[in-house]
Amino acid sequence: MTEATVATSPRTAIFGKPDLASADGKAEILIAMQNIWKTYDMGSEKVHALHGVSFEVHRGEYLAITGPSGSGKSTLMNLIGCLDTPSQGDYWLNGKNVSEMDDDELARIRNQEVGFVFQTFNLLARATALHNVELPLIYGGIPGARRHEMAKQALTEVDLVDRMMHRPNELSGGQRQRVAIARALVNHPSILLADEPTGALDTATSYDIMNLFEKLHEEGNTIILVTHEHDIAARAHRVISIRDGLIEKDEQIK
Amino acid sequence: MKLIEILKVAIAAIWAHKLRSALTLLGMIVGVTAFVTVVSLIQGFNVYIDEKIAGIGAKSFSVQRFNPFEDFKDTDTIAAAQRRNKELTMQDYDFIKERSALIAKLGAKARGTPSQIKRNDQVLDDVFVSGATANTADIENRNIDNGRFFTDTEADGAARVAYVGADIATKLFPAGNPIGGEIEIRGLPYRLIGVEAVKGTVFGIPQDNFIVIPLKTYELDFGPLVRQRSLYFTATSKTDETFNDAVEEARYLMRARRKLGPNEKDNFGIVTPDAITGLRDRIFGTVFIVAIAVPFIALVVGAIVIMNIMLVSVTERTKEIGLRKSLGARKMDILKQFLFEAVTLATIGGAVGVLLAWVVGKVVTATFFPTYLSIFAILGALAASGGMGIISGIVPAWKAARLDPIEALRADT
Repeated sequence: MTEATVATSPRTAIFGKPDLASADGKAEILIAMQNIWKTYDMGSEKVHALHGVSFEVHRGEYLAITGPSGSGKSTLMNLIGCLDTPSQGDYWLNGKNVSEMDDDELARIRNQEVGFVFQTFNLLARATALHNVELPLIYGGIPGARRHEMAKQALTEVDLVDRMMHRPNELSGGQRQRVAIARALVNHPSILLADEPTGALDTATSYDIMNLFEKLHEEGNTIILVTHEHDIAARAHRVISIRDGLIEKDEQIK
Repeated sequence: MKLIEILKVAIAAIWAHKLRSALTLLGMIVGVTAFVTVVSLIQGFNVYIDEKIAGIGAKSFSVQRFNPFEDFKDTDTIAAAQRRNKELTMQDYDFIKERSALIAKLGAKARGTPSQIKRNDQVLDDVFVSGATANTADIENRNIDNGRFFTDTEADGAARVAYVGADIATKLFPAGNPIGGEIEIRGLPYRLIGVEAVKGTVFGIPQDNFIVIPLKTYELDFGPLVRQRSLYFTATSKTDETFNDAVEEARYLMRARRKLGPNEKDNFGIVTPDAITGLRDRIFGTVFIVAIAVPFIALVVGAIVIMNIMLVSVTERTKEIGLRKSLGARKMDILKQFLFEAVTLATIGGAVGVLLAWVVGKVVTATFFPTYLSIFAILGALAASGGMGIISGIVPAWKAARLDPIEALRADT
């Protein structure tokens, strides 16, 4: 039985659980994508959004994923963010194999391991900045007083603690994105996953946000930036370019 | 996610759309108001009848010419009863009184006549004047406010004395003590000897507009005790345990006096409190079902409206659902959120409905008829509206819970 399973999915035999405590002195491996396929069943035909993507990300890296629209970078981002599972292949996040998880386990991983930053901020319009930042902690089951404290700390991190009782419509675009970043940070996730974080901001504000990401990276956070803008991608230390569902380039630029 | 957190989210969502929530609840509110009002009317009526029976004496019964529950079913039974049944007489009364062993008190009464009453230049029309024996005051538990009921001596002597309802006393004697005052009934002078405590209004009919005079006086001044002045008896049993035996004894004595064969029907009627409550239950059993069914339909319509609005709300908040899921909300968290919203909404509707029904009940009680709002009806209405909330919320909540987070995040709203 075990042999048969191994035989039909040889990649598990090839890859397997990554060795977290790498011997070569580099930081531990946080993300291991092992021959990831994502196939969508579009009625008559099957569309392969990703065909066999493999890469590793170490803790503390600042990575940009770029590519034109339709390249598969959104699909990859959804997989990294545990919003979806691969059709084939294994995804190890912080030592856990995410590819086999069900919806509720994925929700828990998203809550604990992933901090999302969206292009359009996605704040609850009727809630204060503080409440928006508390949201992941509510789903994490953290009691009220502790939640309050953690959210305040995250808002201090993005320099917005004096505005914590304001609602999104009382904040500027840049401030809103900083609230969203505080929300992403509040649970101390393994990765900060930002999808076009400057896409809705003017140039000056974009630079502020990028500076904030830089600061967060220097503090030890692992950041993955998904963008199609080259100058934004250029701020990262490593850039993975996706084209037609495959990794076209994977280069360390800093 | 803790219950209190879910509740907070639900209330915030309802509060954010105050007008829409209020309009959504209109059907629910109308349904619950109607439902609770009907229940409190019926319960009020039940309580009223129970009190009436308690007032007459739960352990008293009457013997009369007709049995209203048996003889007045339709025109045929009425015609048959009119041929068969004979008027009761004072000889019947004496016959039972002499022979009965189980009856404690036997009183005789004659049906009343609307009459004109005067005092000086004060005139009251259509006052209900009836005749009775002295012991009926005890049998019927009359609540005497002032003065006294007439005595056996006065009754036997056909004295012109009058025991009156509260309205009569206040209208004819606006100032000063009415006791001992002289009033004219159909042009004949009577002495007022007692006033009954205020009873109020039932079905819009005042209950304090009556006069009772001794039976013999009534016969002399108004005419023979037949037809509209038909004679009837009221009786109490010696003990509660022998009540049914006392009723059977009265029936046996009447049958013996009327010389009825074993296969002949009673040609008189006996009315017991059980028969009255039985009739009430028969009538109101049906009325109750109909009266409950109609507001229930309103409740169902209210639930459909809530379901509709919840479906709209889920569609509107697709992006919010996607966001919550991306932040770690599980299926159950989203399901609970929307289910709670529907249940909270419906329960608020129920609570407002109960409140309105309480106000309606107060108004009806003050103007028309006693109502009774029991804690059981309140809890029942709240539970029913909450249940409607669950029914109307489950489909939208499930729809929200199973949204794909990627699709939901991509939504335009």
